[in-house]
Amino acid sequence: MKRWYVIPWSACMCVLAAVVLCISAGTVDAQQTQGEGTAATEKAAASADAPAAPQAEETEPANPQADTWMGKIDAWFGKNVVTPIATVLFYDFGTKESLGTALPFVVVWLLCGAIFFTIRMKFINIRAFGHAIRLTKGDYDDKSDPGEVSHFQALASALSATVGLGNIAGVAIAVGQGGPGAVFWLIVAGLLGMTSKFAECTLGQMYRTVDPAGTVSGGAMHYLKDGLAELRMPRLGKVLAVMFAVLCVGGSFGGGNAFQVNQSLRALGQKIPLLDHESPDGMPWIYGLVMAILAGMVIIGGIRRIAATAEKIVPLMCGIYVITCLFIIIGHWDHVAGAFAEIFRGAFTPDAAYGGALGVMVIGIKRAAFSNEAGVGSAAIAHSAAKTNEPVSEGIVALLEPFIDTVVVCTMTALVVVITGVYDAQQFPEYAVLVERNNGAALTMKAFGDVISWFPWVLCATVFLFAYSTLISWSYYGERCWTWLFGPRSSLAYKLVFLTFTFLGSVITATNILEFSDLMILSMAVPNVLGVVLLSSKVRRALDDYWRRVQSGEIAPAKK
Amino acid sequence: MPWLPKKSVIVPIDFSDDAFAALDTALELVADASHVHAIHVLPYMEVTDPGVIWEAIDDDSRRKHAEDALRERLADAKYQGLTIQVGFGDPGREVADYAASQKAELIVLSSHGRTGLSRLLIGSVAERIVRLAHCPVLVIRK
Repeated sequence: MKRWYVIPWSACMCVLAAVVLCISAGTVDAQQTQGEGTAATEKAAASADAPAAPQAEETEPANPQADTWMGKIDAWFGKNVVTPIATVLFYDFGTKESLGTALPFVVVWLLCGAIFFTIRMKFINIRAFGHAIRLTKGDYDDKSDPGEVSHFQALASALSATVGLGNIAGVAIAVGQGGPGAVFWLIVAGLLGMTSKFAECTLGQMYRTVDPAGTVSGGAMHYLKDGLAELRMPRLGKVLAVMFAVLCVGGSFGGGNAFQVNQSLRALGQKIPLLDHESPDGMPWIYGLVMAILAGMVIIGGIRRIAATAEKIVPLMCGIYVITCLFIIIGHWDHVAGAFAEIFRGAFTPDAAYGGALGVMVIGIKRAAFSNEAGVGSAAIAHSAAKTNEPVSEGIVALLEPFIDTVVVCTMTALVVVITGVYDAQQFPEYAVLVERNNGAALTMKAFGDVISWFPWVLCATVFLFAYSTLISWSYYGERCWTWLFGPRSSLAYKLVFLTFTFLGSVITATNILEFSDLMILSMAVPNVLGVVLLSSKVRRALDDYWRRVQSGEIAPAKK
Repeated sequence: MPWLPKKSVIVPIDFSDDAFAALDTALELVADASHVHAIHVLPYMEVTDPGVIWEAIDDDSRRKHAEDALRERLADAKYQGLTIQVGFGDPGREVADYAASQKAELIVLSSHGRTGLSRLLIGSVAERIVRLAHCPVLVIRK
């Protein structure tokens, strides 16, 4: 393979590093003379223009680095990228005035989709759970089936994209913004999301193409285009597929990339002063540069071993993370009952501080979808690689993904944050600033330090690995969509933009990154859920047929 | 280009019916099928592809699969003796390079005629081969 790109590319990165160093040296002087932030004023102006950007306007306290070069990039990004897109995609249909809470269109869309699929597929998320585990264990694997990887491997690859900082930082942001009640809705959305994931991954398998070399291409763009063409809606299918691919590329720059870098950096900054945004000597951009180089070594340099290690280690890291969380929860066992009471009370009792019951629900659903990507359609790309003749079987394996991601891992983070009380401004006024600035990972870090002093270091290792593996996996999703749109020859251009966003993740504020990432990832649900709803009869027919054959023993575990 | 039977003709095959039709045209231009080379070009896999990550597939296994698929498709007696080649990378560049390495006298290919936006964005492999080839290229339009 042509791996010689890595040499000129490394040289480019070195030049970039040198330029950044020069600029930062220059702006430190400027910072001393300039006084209080010009960029902060710009930011205020930007958010004043943005009536539909719900959080941006409220939660932006003075950024300590607002008047540095990093602050300027952030202000530009907020004003010219986030605000215009948010105005369109997070349109709330005037619900902010009529209901008192902005009800973004995509959130309603995602929830309705998930409920519809769960009913249409007759609660397959519950009735096929045991079968899903057997499939994943490999009981039904047949090596001669077409495809690339086993059920387990496909699930692990998809999980490495879904389990990321959304599980650690996103959940803490949810509790920070919506209080403990958001956890309830997060779990509900996770359970319902299992069926959305089932439906989209089944379709991913149904409409994948296997080329003569045995390589698979699949994903939402394929089933939207070909599936809707079958239903005599070729134009709609094409429009939705293109829309999905464009947003997925955007998602791979935001939630799958910059957000991961940004939030893992906030966590590491708590322990490593050099990377701390708050410290005057902090040089957080170094982390962005290191991440961009590490990611570039894989996606441009083609070093397979790094990518493989990062992805294969994800299930292990999930295990370590859950055990660590359980340890903290047991350490506070006397608070557990109270925490659950808070979660249930908060879910149904309107609390003005958290935007009322509806506001809490919106936050919970948003963070769940952001973390498990159910209804978003991205995971269908990874799941379509599984070796099987039965599309439904991979869909059933895929329903474990939101369960592991949201119902297990996110719930662990949520319980730790709620039980330790770090989200509560009255209990810990010193952490209120972390909540305000959406520094979710830093908040989780505080919660981790609560029980055993060295636990934050475990979290440091976890956030770094989760961020890196998510980055690598999402670069694959984005690249698939990009080359589907523009052909394989332009793949290098995509990768360079991807790495630029990796670097930007270390520079832009958490709120702007969060907003941009939400916009892209959640909006993928607009074309995807519509397409999957239209194709749901086909999924249902296939499911009924498959389930009948499983029940009758026609589909039996392979003899070992 | 003298209108005599060719000694070496390259036909890029993307497994479409048009490509196999172009192969039949090529066979009419040579004295013997052994003077025809059918080449299929595979894209490089991303190292982030699940199949590559889990070492389930690699370029060797893909080459073998593609060769087998070509052989199976070209089992007919009229194709006996034809050379089968599988390359990796950009199809336009690979076909042109292979033609140069074989000192080919002609490349015969079919153009599917992508139109509109996708032509602008993705471009045409046929166009690239015409641009990069060092020998005459016969494009069969559909």
